[in-house]
Amino acid sequence: MTRNAPAVRLEGITKRFGDVVANDAVDFTLEQGSIHALLGENGSGKTTLMSVLYGLYDQNDGTIHVDGEERTFESPRDAMDAGIGMIHQHFQLVKPMTVLQNVILGHEPTEGGTVDEASARAEIEAICDRYGFDIDRELDTPIEELDLGAQQRVEIVKSLYRGAEVLILDEPTAVLTPQEVDGLMEVMNDLREDGRSLIFISHKLDEALEIADDITVLRDGKAMGTVPAAETTESDLARMMVGREVLFDRLERDPGTGAPVLEVEELRVVGDRGRERVEGVDLTVHEGEILGIAGVQGNGQSELIEGITGLRRPDDGVVRLGGTDIADRSRRDRIEDGIAYIPEDRQTEGLVQEYSLQRNALLGNQTIEPYAENGILNWEAIEEHAADVIEEYDVQPPNPETDADSLSGGNQQKFIVGREIGHDPDVLVASHPTRGVDIGSIEFIHERLMELRDQGVGILMVSSKLEEIQKLSDRIAVMYEGEFVDVVDPEEVTESDLGLLMAGGTLAEGSDDESGSADVDGGVSS
Amino acid sequence: MSDSEAASNGGGVLDAVAARLLDASVLERIGIAVASTTLAILIGLVVAAATGYDPVRFASQLLVGAFGSERAIARTLRSTTLFVLTGVAVAIAFRAGVFNIGVQGQFVVGGFSTVVSIIWLAAFVPSGTVGGVVLLLFGTAVGVVAGGLYGALPGVMKAYGDANEIITTIMLNFIATGFVGWLVAGPFGDPEATATRTRRLPDNVELPQAVFGDPNLSIVGIVLMLGVVALVAVIMTRTRFGYDMVTSGYQDTAATYSGVDAKRMVISTMAFSGMIAGLTGALFVIMIQGYYTDPSGIGNYGFDAIAVSLLAANNPLGVLPAGLLFGGLESAGSHVQINSDVPVQLIDGIVGLVVLFVAAPELFRMIAARTGLGGDVE
Amino acid sequence: MSVTDVLTVARLRLVGITIGVLAVLGAVLSGIFDVDLSRLITRGFVTRSLEMATPITLAAVGGLYAEKSGVFNIGLEGFMIVGAFTTAGTMFALGGTSPTQGDVWVAILVAVVVSTLLTAAFAVLLIRYKADQIVAGLAVWFVGLGFAPFAAALVWGSRSSPGLTSIDRLAFGQSPLVFLTVVLVGVAWVVLFRTRYGYWVQAAGENPEALDTAGVDVDRVRYATVIFSGAMAGFGGAVLLAHAGNFVGTGSTMVDGRGWIAIVAYLFGNYNPVGAAAAALLFGALDMLNVQFQTVGIEISARLVNLLPYVAVLVVLTVYGKTRIPAVVGEPYETEE
Repeated sequence: MTRNAPAVRLEGITKRFGDVVANDAVDFTLEQGSIHALLGENGSGKTTLMSVLYGLYDQNDGTIHVDGEERTFESPRDAMDAGIGMIHQHFQLVKPMTVLQNVILGHEPTEGGTVDEASARAEIEAICDRYGFDIDRELDTPIEELDLGAQQRVEIVKSLYRGAEVLILDEPTAVLTPQEVDGLMEVMNDLREDGRSLIFISHKLDEALEIADDITVLRDGKAMGTVPAAETTESDLARMMVGREVLFDRLERDPGTGAPVLEVEELRVVGDRGRERVEGVDLTVHEGEILGIAGVQGNGQSELIEGITGLRRPDDGVVRLGGTDIADRSRRDRIEDGIAYIPEDRQTEGLVQEYSLQRNALLGNQTIEPYAENGILNWEAIEEHAADVIEEYDVQPPNPETDADSLSGGNQQKFIVGREIGHDPDVLVASHPTRGVDIGSIEFIHERLMELRDQGVGILMVSSKLEEIQKLSDRIAVMYEGEFVDVVDPEEVTESDLGLLMAGGTLAEGSDDESGSADVDGGVSS
Repeated sequence: MSDSEAASNGGGVLDAVAARLLDASVLERIGIAVASTTLAILIGLVVAAATGYDPVRFASQLLVGAFGSERAIARTLRSTTLFVLTGVAVAIAFRAGVFNIGVQGQFVVGGFSTVVSIIWLAAFVPSGTVGGVVLLLFGTAVGVVAGGLYGALPGVMKAYGDANEIITTIMLNFIATGFVGWLVAGPFGDPEATATRTRRLPDNVELPQAVFGDPNLSIVGIVLMLGVVALVAVIMTRTRFGYDMVTSGYQDTAATYSGVDAKRMVISTMAFSGMIAGLTGALFVIMIQGYYTDPSGIGNYGFDAIAVSLLAANNPLGVLPAGLLFGGLESAGSHVQINSDVPVQLIDGIVGLVVLFVAAPELFRMIAARTGLGGDVE
Repeated sequence: MSVTDVLTVARLRLVGITIGVLAVLGAVLSGIFDVDLSRLITRGFVTRSLEMATPITLAAVGGLYAEKSGVFNIGLEGFMIVGAFTTAGTMFALGGTSPTQGDVWVAILVAVVVSTLLTAAFAVLLIRYKADQIVAGLAVWFVGLGFAPFAAALVWGSRSSPGLTSIDRLAFGQSPLVFLTVVLVGVAWVVLFRTRYGYWVQAAGENPEALDTAGVDVDRVRYATVIFSGAMAGFGGAVLLAHAGNFVGTGSTMVDGRGWIAIVAYLFGNYNPVGAAAAALLFGALDMLNVQFQTVGIEISARLVNLLPYVAVLVVLTVYGKTRIPAVVGEPYETEE
């Protein structure tokens, strides 16, 4: 294989946000006419690195070279002028405007003062012909009438129209159906054959292996190495991504002995964009058990959780709490029924930032005695509750008058965990309970969850951290594209197996039998 | 002081607005309020000087007109009552993150309903004090309900029709003014009156004066104003409804997480806000006017109330001094009109400027930052 | 070139329905009151309707540009008052109580310049200082309502002016300003839907980030549209005065809610200059119909008829749901980092 000249070379890129190091001296080289996959878990720094390249962020350290020349980009406009195009996860499209208008936005050809649509049309059609895009038939259709796959093609055409030689695709497959993914792969192939260079950001191993020439793995902001796709395997990559093969922290497990407290059958939930994100999930959480849901974010975990906690009405299916179907009950009813919830986003959901901890202690407890009786609040009881949580959960600073937004992430999270457990729930739903939390707080929160489990509460936990899932769960369900692909025993499964399952792969012989013995109600979808 | 704005992308218009309006410390808010008012009055004085009037004399007339005599104070308090009550109505909605621009319309509908219902019921109730009290209570209740329903309407439109409440409430203001104006001129007009108005309320529908001997100011009105302010403050801080409401205004995602039904909250907030506006309308007709006239001529209480509420940072207690300021300016206007050759519209212009500056706190933050005054804005 | 972005099918249907309803209403009324329709729809009626619609159209076209770009200028009413007064004041300064036609044109020009300057300051408050658009817009109305009559009182010793001069009518008794407005509407349509600048305006109100990443300065686009909206509203006020021939500053002034109706007009016209003009014409005709009704002896309250536009907007917003408010109206745009 002949090595081409690098189209883009990043040297020692470091990017800090406050104290957080998002990229730590990352080197990255994209060859001319190749596809380079950038792999890593959520939060590993992939998007940050590419945003530096695209002029959205200024790096704290390091240099950018395009076609052998060192460049600095003040804005995306500069990057565009240097021939770099980026297709964001959230499309930068103007919904009511037509495909044609979106493609040429900011780069409109004009004639006699008005936009020369005819020449733009010809140019776009030429691009479409060259790469076999079908959107030239829809040039006068408003964006909002296109499905996401077509919108993505518009974004790609937009970059090509602006003359991009280097294309950055940020998690391009996340929003696509499997058929659309195939289509995208073809397009990427065509672009490569035409001599363009592509960076493919992903956390899906199989996709990276399928399409990329080279693969660079990022972990915790550091580049773990670059390997040619032809010379690596999924399990090697999985190991690079999660960093460990060994299991650790064996904890006593006692799976599924209690009675079922939470039963979900054939649950279907539609997400924000009107697409079904939970496609018929069955699960059972027993008393005194932690059921962990592993999966790459965006595979329907959030919608599943929202369907169970009442933040989103399920479209179909049953949610039984202690034997009663609560699928039609409101969020408030479900709180009163005994479902506690540690939300995915503590900043926007779990806490009101401008409220003191005391006022936040009431959040979710508005109808529960003794905090409120007949609609009248009992601030004394609330204050006491806040003080208790602060003390028991070691929230710093230990002052109920402190506003939530002045607390560190770990202390905010401990406060939420304390408040939710304080509801004395039958079921606790915990979504990413330790995301963005310091190590000390992680240990603390983990211990509390285990304690709660030992007291007989059923816990349903979603996390994208495999370590956490393996450490705490009594059983692990892996979710992929709205379904449970497998349910495995944490005693048996390795992290790289989990990584494989999360990326949509299947386990080799043997593993399936073990999952069968894990006794999950229909958790294994064919 | 930093002017770094939390550029929260998640929210819509209201989130952004609410966040901007709410994220100021109490001291800063007071500073901005004082600075807005001072700057507006200064501009007014400069305009007066530039157009050949004596600014010192004009300033003293403003002061005398607002607080210079027992009559002036009574007049000031009378307007203050209306500004404070409508201001509270606005504050309720704004605190919950709902932009009720329709307080004026709810005020008109409430007041007119009060008049009509009292006149209707008067035929069945004996005259005399007891009858008067019955009519008064009944009329007020009808006014409150009518205002509440008229406020709930845009709430329903927003919750179930996704209609922007800013636009719908503005439209409903015009509809209220026009429709009531038509009713007053036509079906409900007093055939014997020369002016366009309804029949007068019966003589027994009257509030005790008790203070200053001003026939249009009653101690009941003042007590009612203070009572409503206290009640709303208590509801906001000590009840579940208030907590739900204020939480929705601060962070609607957190409110939803805690079990608040967003649609219902919008409707009940608007209804609550409209009820206070309707109550103000009832007080206006019972205490001051005694009949209903064409609403296009009764003053922009509901619009000025937005400025009152903003000046008070949407805090029901802060509405008291803010309402007093507007009451004082209006009262000074009456004084200037009679006792000065300065055209009274200058005061309307000054009020407009106060509102304009109150809308742009960022202006004062930047001025403060530039001049190194830090958090204290002078 | 497609028709879709001119007037959507739905919009055509809505306009059709409205005209149909009006036709039926007219037929029923003429049936009930036994009035010959030709006595209602006279040439004078058409001329006056057009004149009535002109100021509303101008302000509406300006307002829709601002809102399309993401800034809600609800101060149109205030800027119209300023425009009307400035025109009257300039006429009086140039020619006393009998200004010439040349003075009238100069006065209109001065009014446009003055409102442009004032709006520029307003735009700085809104965009640079992120003022609350609703409250600041209301404030402009209050300021106009206060200072214009104040200034009138200074100049004429009364809130209204004495009779000045109104603009000479051309052939068929039509005002040249009506023709000018027709041209402006056409130009506004072309600019909005056929030039790159118009694309930017639309993008700024729907997805400013997309515009920003395409390398266009969002704030600059918004400054331009807001200043344009004030200039157009001021022009609308000037036209109102040039048709009337004297300034009235009592009550809600001679502008009397036309700035608000302008907002209604562009909402009704779905942010399309031609649609807004059509709506303004509809409202102007409605207003004039009242006068016609009186002359032929039909008793219908003008006040009630004039409420129809507001009710129509409520219905369109709530039930019909086809008026599409730009996605980010009211939000200041913050660039990343």
